[in-house]
Amino acid sequence: MFAFIVRRVLQAIIVMLIISFIGFALKQNVGDPVRELTGVSVSAAERESIREKLGLNDPFLIQYGRFLKGAVLEGNIGQSFFYKKPAMEVILSKAPATIELVLCCSFLIVVLSIPMGIYSAIYPKRLLSRLIMGLSTIGVSVPIFLIAILLIYIFAIELNWLPSYGRGETVNVWGWESGLLTLDGLRHLILPTTALTALMLPLFVRLIRSEMMEVLQTEYVKFAWAKGLPRVRIWFVHAFKNTLLPVITVGGVQIGTMIAFTILTETVFQWGGLGFLFLEAVERADTSLLVAYLIFVGIIFVVVNTVVDIIYGLVNPMVRITGRK
Amino acid sequence: MRLWKRFRSSYFLYSFLHDPVAMGSFAILAFLTLAAFGAPVIAPHNPYDTTTINIMDSEIPPVWMEGGEQNFTLGTDAQGRDMLSTMLYGMRISLIIGVGATLMQAVIGIVLGLLAGYKGGRVDSFLMRMADVQLSFSTLMVAIFLSAIFQAIFGVAAFERLAVPFLVLVIGIAEWPQYARTVRASVLAEKKKEYVEAARVMGLPAARIMWRHILPNSMSPILVLSTVQVAHAIMSEAALSFLGLGMPITKPSLGSLINSGFDYIFSGSWWITMFPGILLVLLILVINLLGDWVQDVLNPKLYKG
Amino acid sequence: MKKLLFFALAFVFLATAAQGKTLKMALDADPESMDPHVQLSGGMLQYTHLCFDPLIRWTKDMKFEPRLASKWERIDPLTVRFYLREGVKFHSGNTFTAADVAWTMDRLKKSEDFKGLFTSFAEPKIIDDYTIDIITTEPYPLVEAMATYIFPLDSKFYTGADDKGLPKDAIVKTDYSFANQNQSGTGPFYVESREQGVKMVYKRFADYWDKDSKGNVSEIILTPIKENATRTAALLSSGVDFIAPVPPQDMDRLGTNKDLNLVTMAGSRVITFQLNQKRKPEFADLKVRQAVIAAVDNAGIVAKLMKGTATAAQQQAPEGFDGYVADLAPRFDLEKAKQLMKEAGYENGFEATMIAPNNRYVNDEKIAEAVVSMLSKIGIKVSLKTMPKAQYWDEFDAQVADIQMIGWHPDTEDSANYSEYLLMCPNKDTGKGQYNSGNYCNAKLDELVNQANVETDKAKRIALLQEVERIAYDDAAYVPLHWQNLSWAAKKNVDLEPVVNIMDFPYLGDLVVE
Repeated sequence: MFAFIVRRVLQAIIVMLIISFIGFALKQNVGDPVRELTGVSVSAAERESIREKLGLNDPFLIQYGRFLKGAVLEGNIGQSFFYKKPAMEVILSKAPATIELVLCCSFLIVVLSIPMGIYSAIYPKRLLSRLIMGLSTIGVSVPIFLIAILLIYIFAIELNWLPSYGRGETVNVWGWESGLLTLDGLRHLILPTTALTALMLPLFVRLIRSEMMEVLQTEYVKFAWAKGLPRVRIWFVHAFKNTLLPVITVGGVQIGTMIAFTILTETVFQWGGLGFLFLEAVERADTSLLVAYLIFVGIIFVVVNTVVDIIYGLVNPMVRITGRK
Repeated sequence: MRLWKRFRSSYFLYSFLHDPVAMGSFAILAFLTLAAFGAPVIAPHNPYDTTTINIMDSEIPPVWMEGGEQNFTLGTDAQGRDMLSTMLYGMRISLIIGVGATLMQAVIGIVLGLLAGYKGGRVDSFLMRMADVQLSFSTLMVAIFLSAIFQAIFGVAAFERLAVPFLVLVIGIAEWPQYARTVRASVLAEKKKEYVEAARVMGLPAARIMWRHILPNSMSPILVLSTVQVAHAIMSEAALSFLGLGMPITKPSLGSLINSGFDYIFSGSWWITMFPGILLVLLILVINLLGDWVQDVLNPKLYKG
Repeated sequence: MKKLLFFALAFVFLATAAQGKTLKMALDADPESMDPHVQLSGGMLQYTHLCFDPLIRWTKDMKFEPRLASKWERIDPLTVRFYLREGVKFHSGNTFTAADVAWTMDRLKKSEDFKGLFTSFAEPKIIDDYTIDIITTEPYPLVEAMATYIFPLDSKFYTGADDKGLPKDAIVKTDYSFANQNQSGTGPFYVESREQGVKMVYKRFADYWDKDSKGNVSEIILTPIKENATRTAALLSSGVDFIAPVPPQDMDRLGTNKDLNLVTMAGSRVITFQLNQKRKPEFADLKVRQAVIAAVDNAGIVAKLMKGTATAAQQQAPEGFDGYVADLAPRFDLEKAKQLMKEAGYENGFEATMIAPNNRYVNDEKIAEAVVSMLSKIGIKVSLKTMPKAQYWDEFDAQVADIQMIGWHPDTEDSANYSEYLLMCPNKDTGKGQYNSGNYCNAKLDELVNQANVETDKAKRIALLQEVERIAYDDAAYVPLHWQNLSWAAKKNVDLEPVVNIMDFPYLGDLVVE
């Protein structure tokens, strides 16, 4: 196990190096940060001198070398032009918002998709199953901003029950700005979580259903029936446990994706998290922040996928973690 | 002729004819596809012919509402384009992008996923870390990067012509890791099973084992992912137009029509969002229902009948 | 005992009532910094008007009203004398004097963004603590307009070194600086807290000098909401009291809502297309340019895409500006456009490329799209690419397309400024024609603008600037579309109308909330 983790850490470092290298190569294409830092009437010469001062005119490899030096010696992965702060600081200050949103959403997905998926697998022909499947299809095909704006329209404007934007009141717990601990914060959380869940839930319901239907036909489940085991035990212990593998795989990738790219939800609800930060960094051509962000997301994916690989081994003893000798 | 006979007596057709949902979905999908690809013939207007668009016709409501015009059955959008025609043309683009990009993702993802899972070790580590890198560079970054390359090679003027293949490429490249990881997980579970061992003992080549033995047994999650990915690809394209990287605004897709209607949600011109929205939901719904059915029928592990 | 309690309660009640109102405000962006000299942008100037008072400021009808300068007079062609208000306190408690004005002007000339506006200004001369002479190097007609940019900073507060040992007056764009995070001005509000991009809280300054101001807002909470629909929703759901700008497509809904108050005003940002004569030789032909202008139904764009929240333009400067010419006729005439194309020998048209931003101006992308279809009617087949503003300006400067969109709002609120940037012959050394991607060049026009820039006689200057607009009109130098309206919406109890103006600097210090 130890060797496995060391190997993964090494791989993570290589991944970060590659991401930062590609990120630097892409930087030029996002736009000119100096343009966003100056008024329109500022002369071209003045802009050029700012660019020179920020080192943006240096050749790509020199800029990258400078970045690596800063990253290795000072742990500094760049300075956000717009926020006028180290990029890592900006990202860490926005991360709690997204993580809380994703956690609530994941919780809802787990709580809802398992019973819905199992039910529609056990009774595929029942009306309720068809309804679940139909609704889940609509969920996946309605664009998230449409769901979001409809939620805002109904619950914020017409009924005036829930706030339409922002995180509301937050409490600082050991440096973590949490909205989960205040009533106001929780009220603000409801609409964005619902919108995001509506988008992600259908995939999981479908996945669980189809895996479950397969497993219910396997020999050992039939054997369990023959043995006369209680239904609930067969469904949940024998069958369900064996559907988990693909669910965890897809889940791992999707949760990583959610953390990184809740762009549209966060934009519509003015939710000050990472997705929002990313879009803003692109729009403002805040290139240093963008590179730092990409590295951060890269780490998230390596970690999530490593955890998924470890869980495979635990759930399915037939799978050996590759690299664990 | 023999093929036809085989098809007629097959279980596939039998189950199709005995499933009204499948038949209904197929009929609707066939109809929509025909309408989309026959748009130049069927549509009352040609929304891509800018000479016929008049700004003074903008935001006319559907014909049954006050102020509606006979000429524009479902009303017009903000530019004065006929909604019905624009939706038909847009659906064609969305279908090509949705299906094309998903196919591309699936092909790249399945090949790399099979390799990673079956070979294991260094190959696996390399491919999976590549997937991590790819996932970090979302669709958006891939689009920004490729569009810069496209512009450098073909110039600004070519964008309108090349937008569809460009978007298939972008969305296809950006999301293959989803498939790769799913396939790999299945392979890891399958490759220890007896039938794979048996095939290996028989001395079958690795490619054949992967393709003919492991893959068919891993189809179920792939199919689920695919039906969802088609919808996601269509929406990704719409999201890219936020950044001016989607379809050119003069050639709107279904997704970008809905997207642009987002602005009109409070204005009272609800038809700009609602009609494309309903059409898209219908399209995805029938694709998914058919997907469910195909999956149930083709799955070798399910007992039939 | 009961009586006492009653009085105590009544007292508490009265005290809270007298404290004034909280205004929750949602704008499309929050200020980039707390240092007024770090960047010249609309958001920064709005912030500066809240926390720093200028020497003089624009009124609604484009006149000047005294603020920190109680009066001013021109004493010779190069000098204007400003008499400053006495007894004005900064937020830090320091007293405001002429030295602060001189210090601020010195700092303005060090600011990368503002130095361009102050190139013709020499060192000011302090006469006494409350009198200062502002001196220009050549006769300069816009001293008053520029004085609206002089928001005296608290020179004592910004002098010295902070706890990191860095100079407090440093102007830093991309990193920490004292001035980026602290402020002390004479304005009606001070910043209580600021979380960039999320929330900014202003509190009313108790020692504010303007005791005549009827403003009763004691706290402003500013939340930036970039997405138009979300901003509108925030107002409709009572999440905020005040939003700006209002997207055109939502005006109807907000305007007819009886609980809300919608104010719109003709603005001075002109939206234009430039036809590149160097890149596309066809556009060097006057007839083709005239045909393009005649093909573009800018009144239709205003009516339909902008929902009437813009004013169709035939020239650069709107009404009220010195250069405005009242009798320039609208030119949309499709038949004439086709005729002109024929005369020019392009009966079958030609192909061209166009770029436009998609998040810079109101409905920019839709406008470009509409113009593409209008031009197709005279046979000009345009291939359009739109992009976010972060990428747009580099492409604009590189002149990658034949037709490029640009909107312009003059920092000086003066006619000459439009031509200087958009129409004068591009010249790298003087910096003139910096955004002239049409490469239109007319020596006569250049000459007139240069004359106007040193003409202090108002009547003569107006004649010069009107001549400039006429030449550009006759030469079909560019395609004018419209002036964007400014718009604000608020709850009924927020009395918006008196505090908003064409510059888009709501003077919230004077805002009355019932």
